[in-house]
Amino acid sequence: MTALHASTATTAAPDTGSGRLPRRAGSVVGAVVMLVSAAAFVIPLLWLLLAPTHTRDRLTSGSSLTFGSFADLGRSWSNLMTFGDGLVLKWLANSLGYSMGAVVLSLLMVAPAGYALAMYDFPGRRLVLNATLVTMIIPQAALILPLYLEMVKLQLIDSIWSVVLPSAFFPFGVYLTYLYYNDNLPRSLVEAARLDGASEWRAFLSLGLPLGRQALGLTGFFCFVQAWNQYFLPFVMLSDDGRYNLQLGLQTLISSTGAVNPSYGATTLPIHQPEAALAALITVGPILVIFLVAQRYLRAGQIGGAVKG
Amino acid sequence: MTQPRKRHAAPYLFLAPYLIFLAVFGVAPAVYAVWVSFETPEAAFAGLANWTAVLADARLLPSVRNVGTYLGLWLPTMLVLVTGLSLLAHQRGGRLSAASRFAWYLPGAVTGAAAALLWLFMLSPGISPFSPLLRLAGVSSGTDLLSGQGLPVVLTVMATTVTAGGWIVVVYAALNTVPPEILEAARVDGATAWQVTRYIKLRHIRPQLSLMLISSFAYGTQIFVEPQVLRSAFTSQVSETWSVNQLAYFFATQRGNFGMAASLSLMLLGVGLLVAAIVIAKTDLYATGARKGAR
Repeated sequence: MTALHASTATTAAPDTGSGRLPRRAGSVVGAVVMLVSAAAFVIPLLWLLLAPTHTRDRLTSGSSLTFGSFADLGRSWSNLMTFGDGLVLKWLANSLGYSMGAVVLSLLMVAPAGYALAMYDFPGRRLVLNATLVTMIIPQAALILPLYLEMVKLQLIDSIWSVVLPSAFFPFGVYLTYLYYNDNLPRSLVEAARLDGASEWRAFLSLGLPLGRQALGLTGFFCFVQAWNQYFLPFVMLSDDGRYNLQLGLQTLISSTGAVNPSYGATTLPIHQPEAALAALITVGPILVIFLVAQRYLRAGQIGGAVKG
Repeated sequence: MTQPRKRHAAPYLFLAPYLIFLAVFGVAPAVYAVWVSFETPEAAFAGLANWTAVLADARLLPSVRNVGTYLGLWLPTMLVLVTGLSLLAHQRGGRLSAASRFAWYLPGAVTGAAAALLWLFMLSPGISPFSPLLRLAGVSSGTDLLSGQGLPVVLTVMATTVTAGGWIVVVYAALNTVPPEILEAARVDGATAWQVTRYIKLRHIRPQLSLMLISSFAYGTQIFVEPQVLRSAFTSQVSETWSVNQLAYFFATQRGNFGMAASLSLMLLGVGLLVAAIVIAKTDLYATGARKGAR
């Protein structure tokens, strides 16, 4: 944080005395580039927020970056609910359940694992760290088909566990927590607790957990986002559309209605562009809220270069 | 060395739940994939038959070409955009910089199927707020856009808006850790803004940019969701084996040939790890320490 203030101070006074005018012009161009690119990034989001408030006709005739009416928003909602008798709400509940289940399970294993890797020297420690790094780099998509075969053997196919358990395996969180404990929890503190007669478990509970809160919070954040965005995994594991998550449900909605491509997949359901946009909004809504909350942590750069794309 | 026995057991007990998951959902699927890739569908030893069958499959080359075109567009776009915007935001500072970084980062919330749906709308003339631009580009319908080589461009736009903002956060944070003494020394020596950018800042953020390229490459080669979702609306424009991963899925589900699916997955993984190794060797990713630089 001190580095942040120091460097903004030096960049705020970059003038070296030569070329005042070109620099001024450069700064205007820079500002325009930033504004235009920021607008290009945000306009689709704005459109998504506003689209469900329009009727289909108004939306397709180009008045899309304005607010329509609450009545039309209500109509989009009730139209959307005709799909599979409120199936979208079921998907929402599933997504919440899968993601929170994955977060709780992953935190239960990440906290003690990161703590142990940072606080103890024991045979096999390097091996565990290396295996963690490697599984962290392997994109999960590469393992999904073998996971599917494994789940067939375990007879967990089409159950919620086939989605929750693989989502809860989060090596990135273990690595993040390990690094954090390494830097922020001196071993001497744990040693002092031992001298005071605390058991290993007691030391973890009273020192490790409270002092690791930040890393565990970040792990929970990343794990939730990752679990919420799962698509390939439930796509392969689940066949009953009542168990789908929102990402998978959204695709089902697109392919079984004419919502996106009117010349295709015609049904009698009133699911058109505003309803599809509303479904997409429900899908991204919770993540958008989490992003807004997490923004100040991310800006502080606490997670640094460890972030995955 | 004279620790009581209890203390020896403690780390293993703390690690136990994670180790079980690591074994079952990390190591086992990888090992199992290798095993299956050498088996026939009847579970007999197949030697290299699956591997050669994949390499001889007529669908492989088009899917590799598709993903290659996409990566060829996407990775340079990311490199230029993330580097440029981060430097710009950092040079400028202040409120406009903070607001822009926030705007770049927000679309990261819209991923996968939702992103595919949203961008289908954004690229459909009539409904899109970018309609005038689309008309300028001569696009009159979604069908237009996705036929031919349009799909890699659409995917590039999509993936860039989703991931660029997060990487800008990372690179910007790294720029904040350029030691002030060095900038001060450069200023005293009369370095121009361009020289400071070229010789100090760009060098400083190299580990972060390499990390971005490695993980973007790994995730890009695995692309599955977006073409799959676009396909559900435009069946005749987007092939069911457009990407390599879709082809692997096709082998597993349409052909019931898990051996071929597994060997293709492993080839894809091998390429990803190879490229990661090359980028790590070519840059000082470990030497400088990406995480140290980002503080």
